[in-house]
Amino acid sequence: MAQKSYEEILSIFDEISKNYKRKNQYFDILYDSISFLSIRKTPSEETISINKDKSGIVARTYTDRWKEFAVDNLSDMDKLETHIPKVSSQDNKLAIQEGWKLNKEVEVEIDPKEISLQQKIEKIRLIFESLKKYDERIVNPIIAYAELLTTRIFVNNEGCQLRQVIPRIRVFIQPIAKEEGVVDFDYRSVGGEIGFEIFKGIENKLEQFAQNSLDMLKADKPPSGKYPIILDPDMAGLIAHESFGHGLEADQILRDRSYLQDLLNKQVASKISNIYDAPNISNKYGSYFFDDEGIKAEKNLLVENGILKNFIHNRLTASELNTEPKGNGRRESYAHPLHVRMTNTYFGSGDYELDEMISEIKKGVILNRGYFGMEDPLGGGLQVTSKKGYLIENGEKTKLLKATTLSGSVLKLLKNINAISKDDLKLKPGTCGKGYEDFVPVTSGGSYIRVKSALISPG
Amino acid sequence: MKNKLDMIERIIKSKNVSEYEIYSTESRIYETEFLKTRVGSERQVNDFDYFIRILNQIDGGTGIGIVKGNQLEENKIEETVDDCIKLSQINEDSKYILPSPQSYPKIQPSSKDVLDNPLKVITDLSEMIKSKISNLEKTQSTFGRLRLHIDDIYLLNSSGLDLASTKSYFYLEFAIKAEREKKLSEFWDVEYISRLSDLDLINRIEQWSEYALANLNAKEPISNKKATVIFSPGLLKDAFAPVIGFHSSGKAYHDNQSFFKESQEIADSKLSILDNGLLDGGLKTNPWDGEGNPHQKIKMIDKGIFINRLFDQKYAILENRKSTGNGIRTPSGTIENTISNLEIEAGDTSLKEMISNINEGYLIEKCSWLNPDKYSGSFGTEIRNGYYIKNGKLDTAIKGGNLSGNVLEMIKNCVFISKERKFSGNSYLPYIAFSNLDISS
Repeated sequence: MAQKSYEEILSIFDEISKNYKRKNQYFDILYDSISFLSIRKTPSEETISINKDKSGIVARTYTDRWKEFAVDNLSDMDKLETHIPKVSSQDNKLAIQEGWKLNKEVEVEIDPKEISLQQKIEKIRLIFESLKKYDERIVNPIIAYAELLTTRIFVNNEGCQLRQVIPRIRVFIQPIAKEEGVVDFDYRSVGGEIGFEIFKGIENKLEQFAQNSLDMLKADKPPSGKYPIILDPDMAGLIAHESFGHGLEADQILRDRSYLQDLLNKQVASKISNIYDAPNISNKYGSYFFDDEGIKAEKNLLVENGILKNFIHNRLTASELNTEPKGNGRRESYAHPLHVRMTNTYFGSGDYELDEMISEIKKGVILNRGYFGMEDPLGGGLQVTSKKGYLIENGEKTKLLKATTLSGSVLKLLKNINAISKDDLKLKPGTCGKGYEDFVPVTSGGSYIRVKSALISPG
Repeated sequence: MKNKLDMIERIIKSKNVSEYEIYSTESRIYETEFLKTRVGSERQVNDFDYFIRILNQIDGGTGIGIVKGNQLEENKIEETVDDCIKLSQINEDSKYILPSPQSYPKIQPSSKDVLDNPLKVITDLSEMIKSKISNLEKTQSTFGRLRLHIDDIYLLNSSGLDLASTKSYFYLEFAIKAEREKKLSEFWDVEYISRLSDLDLINRIEQWSEYALANLNAKEPISNKKATVIFSPGLLKDAFAPVIGFHSSGKAYHDNQSFFKESQEIADSKLSILDNGLLDGGLKTNPWDGEGNPHQKIKMIDKGIFINRLFDQKYAILENRKSTGNGIRTPSGTIENTISNLEIEAGDTSLKEMISNINEGYLIEKCSWLNPDKYSGSFGTEIRNGYYIKNGKLDTAIKGGNLSGNVLEMIKNCVFISKERKFSGNSYLPYIAFSNLDISS
């Protein structure tokens, strides 16, 4: 796309947007630009790739359906009117939102642009060497560093003129260990809308990361069956996001496909449970100022004292269900569709000490280090996997366990929460798919959660 | 497109770069999304990306710069090329040289009908779907997506490669719901399909409906630590592709992480597994891989014996072998040493016969997400759609409970392989029954 300033793009978009009369149809246009740097180091490879300003535009209109056209070149905008026709006298039912203006950039402590590429690579190489020389059984230390800068400019025919610039950084460390035919690992993933200061929290913990992987070599297979369990903040977040949150995405209600759709203002979790989705927490990986529909980012109280209070909306679902959106209309890029998506999703903290929670269990399991999960919006089923865990025997943490899969009914699990720790909120960065594609940056987390009984098996 | 590449090449050459590669894709995407039985959105995307790799030969290795871009103003391309040169001077990787022109198989990974009029194809298919889902009697469609991709791919390099290919393929995602007396069940399918002729939409929708209906009566499975389980082709792909692909790779071998040794028996003698980059109807089928080496049809496992490893250019050089055309281009422009299309040779038993020969076991069509650990082969997943097999017949539908196992152990415990095979993404696989799997509920 030809190099144009924000003001020039805004002016072009405004001009186009004015041609679409709001009383007939809704119209918006989004400029999306992403730059990234990625460094990946393993024993046999060092791969560095850069994407400098991949950009494109997506324009769309709503009459009785969405019609969308995306191009990677501003000069292709002349094709817009063919693909996004104007309509006259249409009874447009999409609720009007008041237009607003914003031009904001997230600031970070150490701007990665001020750090040379050489310095970044040296940092990764240093981490790699530290892990590798810790123990000869660390056969494959994998370090991945990713730096992204996203710029989005949004204009619509309701008066929105918005721009945000969001930097994100993520570091992934996976020291793979091998001994006598057994391969296993622990991993660490840190990230946020932060700068190069991300390494401050990592460098003095490398030996611990390596040792964690070595410990996994001797970990036991987890038991199968129903046990009292404790979920660490990672796993609690996976439940809040994967198992529960996806069912709250209101497009599933329009589809008649949510097990939660008839449960508004009803008990869905134990009385000590509070769950939130909040795109407006500073510097978290899933945060922003406005979503990809120009809606302001606002905190959403999903569950309060176990009662379902709100669903998660985009413009269309909010309009259809007669409520207000809070900024959850997101797309992976201009070339991907927009859907209702989560942002930073988490359990609120409680009032237990973790030791207390463990001491009250005769035989159970702690699940640590959330690995992955999958949604079941209609059935309310649950599948989340932890990378590791611990057996609890007679009120004490005993054996280290390998990967564990937790499954069952989401509502049963939530209603069986009988303790939540008072630890500060911990949010872990990740990427979320809508089903199996269309990935957006998110976080999820909370504190430690104890559940009376749940089905687990080796993962 | 050729003009764009010529411009990029001219700029690279002007910087006195002697070893370079340009890989580009020009994509057209057409999508219809259904909300229940009506069209909820229509989307069209024109997208262009190019990747430049520049090599800098150093003592004992090669520095490789990789840059992705999509802007075609000369000053932007120059900046991109300058960045790439800088990266190649900083990076330190193993010795690498770009592939040279070779003999390529004559295969066409796109449908002529689709290329001639993509908008008509997607419109006609959407109408067909709309008509079918509007007339479902016992089930309802909650949502669906039909998407057509057309990718023009180009690869040229300083060693004389000048390759072009056009691929077309579909993405299909649908959720069909059944309801009876406040009981709900669903079948949610996601597939990439290469050929128009394999879409078979009417039969697919009917099959999804049957699965959704069957699940209304689904019960949790009975716990069993040594269960015999038939994996559907789709489930088998999820289990096998990451693990077999990894352990067969030159990369895993070089990094001392592969559990597969050549000429060693690693699986049941019934099992023969191929990497087939030439598979008619395969999603990754193309005359050449992401680096320009010819795709091949390679038997990795022959009657249980591991006989051939898969190499990309990098690991072939490291191991003093030849590339097998298994350098697959990733979205960020890097090359991954992995499978192209996974194929398992058909067995001699029909699915019906397999079921009739199982006294007690399960046929599992779908799980929540079978996502195995590629290093160890372990997995654990929730069952979404399946059947209990009792006395040689499909009995009750099952849903819920966990299926756990280890792929590297499973391949040794292969009981039956079906004659029937189906496409699922980049795989063409039969139904396979495995013993000694863990079902818990």
